[in-house]
Amino acid sequence: MNTDFPKRYSSFSLSDDFQLLCMLSNIGVITPAKSLTIEELSERTRLEISVIQKLLSKLVQEGYVEVSTIEFTEKYYLTLNGIRKVLSTYS
Amino acid sequence: MLTWEFPPRIVGGIARHCFGLTRALAKAGHEVSVVTLEFPGALEYEEMDGVKLFRVPIALGHPNFLTWVLLFNHFIEKQVAELCREEKPDIIHAHDWVVSPSAISLKLSLNVPLVFTIHSTEMGRAQGLRNPDSFTINGFEWWATYEACKVIVTTEAMKREVGGHFELSTKKMATIPNAIDQKKFDIVIDRKSIKQRYATPHEKIVLFVGRLTPQKGVEYLIHAVPQILRHHPEAKFVIVGEGWLRSNLEQLARNSGHSEKIFFTGFLSERDLLEIMSSADVLVLPSIYEPFGIVALEGLAAGIPVVASRIDGLAEVINHNKNGILVYPRNPESIAWGVNQILSDSNYARLLCTNGQKKLRKTYNWDAVAEKTERVYEDAVKL
Repeated sequence: MNTDFPKRYSSFSLSDDFQLLCMLSNIGVITPAKSLTIEELSERTRLEISVIQKLLSKLVQEGYVEVSTIEFTEKYYLTLNGIRKVLSTYS
Repeated sequence: MLTWEFPPRIVGGIARHCFGLTRALAKAGHEVSVVTLEFPGALEYEEMDGVKLFRVPIALGHPNFLTWVLLFNHFIEKQVAELCREEKPDIIHAHDWVVSPSAISLKLSLNVPLVFTIHSTEMGRAQGLRNPDSFTINGFEWWATYEACKVIVTTEAMKREVGGHFELSTKKMATIPNAIDQKKFDIVIDRKSIKQRYATPHEKIVLFVGRLTPQKGVEYLIHAVPQILRHHPEAKFVIVGEGWLRSNLEQLARNSGHSEKIFFTGFLSERDLLEIMSSADVLVLPSIYEPFGIVALEGLAAGIPVVASRIDGLAEVINHNKNGILVYPRNPESIAWGVNQILSDSNYARLLCTNGQKKLRKTYNWDAVAEKTERVYEDAVKL
């Protein structure tokens, strides 16, 4: 599995947690209805579960990702601020 | 009209540009449909001031950004195809490269003229083409300018940039500036209480508004903080906006030794933004690349003096010493000089604001922009 992220700028590099945030946006995890578990995210992004866990915990703490608990299962999706942060990269 | 940004999906100037332009075109009697992307909490279909708005759900995603862009373009095409069962549009107007694949495909399949507005270039945003994604995005931009029968840019500087970089004939291009809805700044506010959200009563607010990306040059403003505080210890720096560079900038603020004087608000609602803009003492735009800089217009409309980098787009909106102060880009000393000039002389600051509002009323209103856009559409249909 790949844990490396491409770099967009030479003087500043995108942090790993931000790159995961972009991936979540691109796969459409933007509402509670579209939220995914860590295992599902690992399958879709080809990133290690331990890597995702670490990055997600930072993103949740910063308010860019929200956790919803559905039938004792934790699922993750982007908050509005998370979506806006992602959009700032390419706009 | 095709755009990936439309309120409430607001990131940069494109959403506000499309919102203002479509409303003005509808007001002028045109039938306008906007096809854009879904956004949590926003309706899939609604009508806003005569504009039909379709927010397309994206049923397929992919972690790779460019693959995702191609996927959502498919869903945009599908939505337009459904609309065309009833009536074919006279013009397709696309904004920026992200919707260019669907725009080009629709132009060819429907045999309808394509008008393309390029708000900025990848070359400028990323300050060079440094990786495969940037080269592909640059390619999309070239392709759209090539396929479009008319290309709209917002400043003469952008005309030179796009014309030179994509080897585009100036005859194919039209310069139509951005505009703002000045009425929304006619608000009654309690300046004192709004200031207290961000600063102590005796402090003066030095404001930045924009995306937190390298292009906006916020790092140079943070580097200028000690030099401004030396002359004006009452200054408080309020950084409004969101972006991937935020944590780096917060770290830079902590390293400056003045973190208590630098406040990051994150994204603000439209109302909160209007309030802080109308309450600030100076607006600083330290960008290193800015094809237009709609925030400069908002500063003029809010009646706050503007200090902006002397770069092509901003220098067309701000005339040095007349309606604002232009400073050298990437230069904290120059930024500090500009801010100190304003904070030291309230009469001078007021004069700049008065001149700014005069220029704003004369040049930057949506009805004038819609009229110019109509003329471009007329030319495009004739080609």
